[in-house]
Amino acid sequence: MVSTSLQAGGRFPDLVLDDHSGNRRALSELVGGDPTILQTYRGWWCPKEQAFFRQRLLPLQDELEVAYARIVSLSVDPSAVTAAFRAGLGARWTFLCDPDRTALQRLGLRETTDTVNDPYVPAVFVLAPDLRIHASYDGYWYLRRPTAAELCHDLRAVAAEIREDWSAPTS
Amino acid sequence: MTGSWHWLALVEEAPADATACAIATELDGAPAGHLAIWDRRGRPTREARRVDARLLDRDGAEAHVSLVRLPSGVRLPFDDVAVQQARRAVLATPPFDAVTTLLSDASHFEGSLTVARGADVARLRGDPFARIFPARILRVASGALGRIPAPAGPVIERYGSARPWPWDRFDDAPRSGVGSRRA
Repeated sequence: MVSTSLQAGGRFPDLVLDDHSGNRRALSELVGGDPTILQTYRGWWCPKEQAFFRQRLLPLQDELEVAYARIVSLSVDPSAVTAAFRAGLGARWTFLCDPDRTALQRLGLRETTDTVNDPYVPAVFVLAPDLRIHASYDGYWYLRRPTAAELCHDLRAVAAEIREDWSAPTS
Repeated sequence: MTGSWHWLALVEEAPADATACAIATELDGAPAGHLAIWDRRGRPTREARRVDARLLDRDGAEAHVSLVRLPSGVRLPFDDVAVQQARRAVLATPPFDAVTTLLSDASHFEGSLTVARGADVARLRGDPFARIFPARILRVASGALGRIPAPAGPVIERYGSARPWPWDRFDDAPRSGVGSRRA
């Protein structure tokens, strides 16, 4: 179960981790001023993660690139592995890497049933620019993961809160 | 930093009023002029173009750059599919120390500047924007060019049409007299 502090209404910690290129990045910097999908995933090797990337997030990427919304993915895979996985997927967003599992421990998102890989439990959070959690999805069971439509609905709700000109300026 | 963009130009003589200026040379050592950056509202020279303000760093180390400029008389919409695809390619490939598009109005792509140091210099030949128009690879002395964090992705749009991509947020109000189209 995803920690109660990481449910809707809570605030996600401002993690500072290496990205897939080995550059130190703060989550708040990556979120910037946009609604953001933050996804934790087990690792490159998991078929469920590969399906979620290919069937949900990659198609969504082609819309978010013009929608002023962002995606950040996070796993325990090291930068070099993550860079290769990202390139193979064709993803154009930032992947964060937590091979030392420091953020994993802080967040309480370790998947306890996998003692071999000691990975993140799959989860999806929709964040506002101040890292407030608008929505939280436990992805341990694949069918609990959000659909693209649900993610768009969540992103729209956050955007409506933060965009002062959400109603089109007309004359 | 006074806003989301500054002015940049490659000029023959070092301008006295530039905020930062560094000598530029061709790869064979031939003089290429001075790369100047101005932090000011008005366009300082006819050749100057807007760049992401984060590019300016008066303590920035020597670097190599790929400078893409359009041939004289050519204009290309910023929304052209070739420019869109170049932005996607920048996001998909390993980041350089900095990249910025060049703008002079709200509608047109007027080139790009990509900054590399160390082992990344060799990758400048693969600058995605150089697939649209030819690039000049130059060596630029220290004192002008900084690093811009890699764009978070996957957004390829400008945050207001006056702001060079990849400037990545709306929260800096646009300066008067320039557009701010969003959607």
